[in-house]
Amino acid sequence: MEHVRNTSDFVDEVHVYEPHKASLPPLGPYLKEFWRRRRFAYEMSRSTQKASNFETALGTVWVVLNPLMLALVYYVLITILSGSASSKGATGELNLLHIVVGIFTWYYAQNAMSLGAVSVTMGGKLILNQAFPRALLPFSSVISAFIMYLPSIPVFLVIYLGFYLTDSSNTIPPLSASLVLLPVYLVILTVTSFGLAMVFGTMTVYFRDTSRFLGYLLRIWLYVTPVLYLPSKLLHHGLKGEILFYGNPLGTVIGSITALWEGQWPSVTYLLVSIAWAVVSLLLGAWLFISRERDFAVRL
Amino acid sequence: MQSDSDLAIRIENLWIRYRTTVEAAPTLKSTIIGLGRKETRKRQIRIVEAVQGFNLDIHNGSVIGVIGANGAGKSTLLRAIAGILPPTEGRITVNGRVSTLLALGVGFNGMLSGRENIVLGCLAAGLTREQIAQRYEVITEFADLGDFIDMPMRTYSSGMYSRLAFSVSIHMDPDILLIDEALSTGDAKFKERSFAKMEELVAQARTIVIVSHALGTVRDLCTEAVWMDKGRLIERGEPGEITDAYLRFVNVAARPTALEDV
Repeated sequence: MEHVRNTSDFVDEVHVYEPHKASLPPLGPYLKEFWRRRRFAYEMSRSTQKASNFETALGTVWVVLNPLMLALVYYVLITILSGSASSKGATGELNLLHIVVGIFTWYYAQNAMSLGAVSVTMGGKLILNQAFPRALLPFSSVISAFIMYLPSIPVFLVIYLGFYLTDSSNTIPPLSASLVLLPVYLVILTVTSFGLAMVFGTMTVYFRDTSRFLGYLLRIWLYVTPVLYLPSKLLHHGLKGEILFYGNPLGTVIGSITALWEGQWPSVTYLLVSIAWAVVSLLLGAWLFISRERDFAVRL
Repeated sequence: MQSDSDLAIRIENLWIRYRTTVEAAPTLKSTIIGLGRKETRKRQIRIVEAVQGFNLDIHNGSVIGVIGANGAGKSTLLRAIAGILPPTEGRITVNGRVSTLLALGVGFNGMLSGRENIVLGCLAAGLTREQIAQRYEVITEFADLGDFIDMPMRTYSSGMYSRLAFSVSIHMDPDILLIDEALSTGDAKFKERSFAKMEELVAQARTIVIVSHALGTVRDLCTEAVWMDKGRLIERGEPGEITDAYLRFVNVAARPTALEDV
């Protein structure tokens, strides 16, 4: 028996399966196999969307239209709540632009989390019949969310240009070079969402109604994230506001992305806090998910 | 007896135990509501001992048929060999690439065409794009679905569905192929080709483990049979003898109905 190497490698020719406690499997082989099968996650997400008619023209329109209409609803709500007189003219348009870009960005994270939450329970048949790194399932959800997010960038550009060109009072700032940083912040947002998707994906296995609670949680989360208002509004409330803003894994990163679209350079503090949250979310999510994933097959 | 290096699979004192809840599904709500009630919760949990102290060495190039009543732990055993269910106790050592055919069309999406599902199924099994490109034609040919290959899989009959699924998993070029009751759905012609393909694999010293209720299949195809009951190994040996013993045990005469796929 001694000549058999004691590894539980997916790729290697020899597999050894032994009892486990709630601890991590060997991470090297796990990550190697995860990377090797990344194409599977992509293809899985693409096929689900194809099956749900996303690739038809109307499907794509709906994916963009949904957050757009919501942005409009929130804009009306905010305008009424804040007293319509102050929001007239171009300031109102500026608010609307902020809400639109904020909602688009927020929806990327929200879709990643809510799809990720059910990715494991929905993938039950796969989990029961095929051995693969289970983290590919929430990863596939993040890819789906990203594919849904992409068309919103050109749509926003069109809306922005429409407002900018008809703006007579020069209240709408021109786009600046800061936009080159957008990919950086999108990577940070993606990593954070992936981590959180793994947390909720694990929770759903143990508590099947997690996704229901998640609906309410996400709504409150949206309201405390500077999407419908500027980060400065939160920070005006002193310590409480700062805790709400910096203690929110999505607060600084979404705040930064909206700032980029408004011609500003986000502060370095925002960047550092965003990176810190991305690392924390990823590590927490990965630890929670990977240490328990061998238990999933029994729990489904 | 052959040496250890010739072993494809070694199972040592395998126990698989899992808890199932009688309530439909665990929810946050029921957990919160049940917090104060320990006894009721305990009664709702049942421990299933699916495999109990199982030992088995499987040599390269053998075709093992696993037989036994429903709930004997056969499927659990296969899933453990595939690395899907972790052992509670004991150890499984598997030498080689494993391909599984545990359920039909894993990773398939009924809305997509057969062609797209071949790619999806191969990716699910862990192949790369290049490897899929190499096998693609052979898989399509083997499934022999004609024009249906371009139709959405939801339009397939269950036999066609399983033909494509079987074709995908047998072309994974596995060292070890694990099959769970999958052969029963194809028609006679396809069954014959499946047998031929499996014999070809065996000739290359590949190993096959089949779980089947079709005792005729076990007799024809397997080099050895294993009889499981209530998670334990009852007997292993020559397929004809073991299936006879099993039939005597379940008190069914060796009538054609017991031998055929029903």
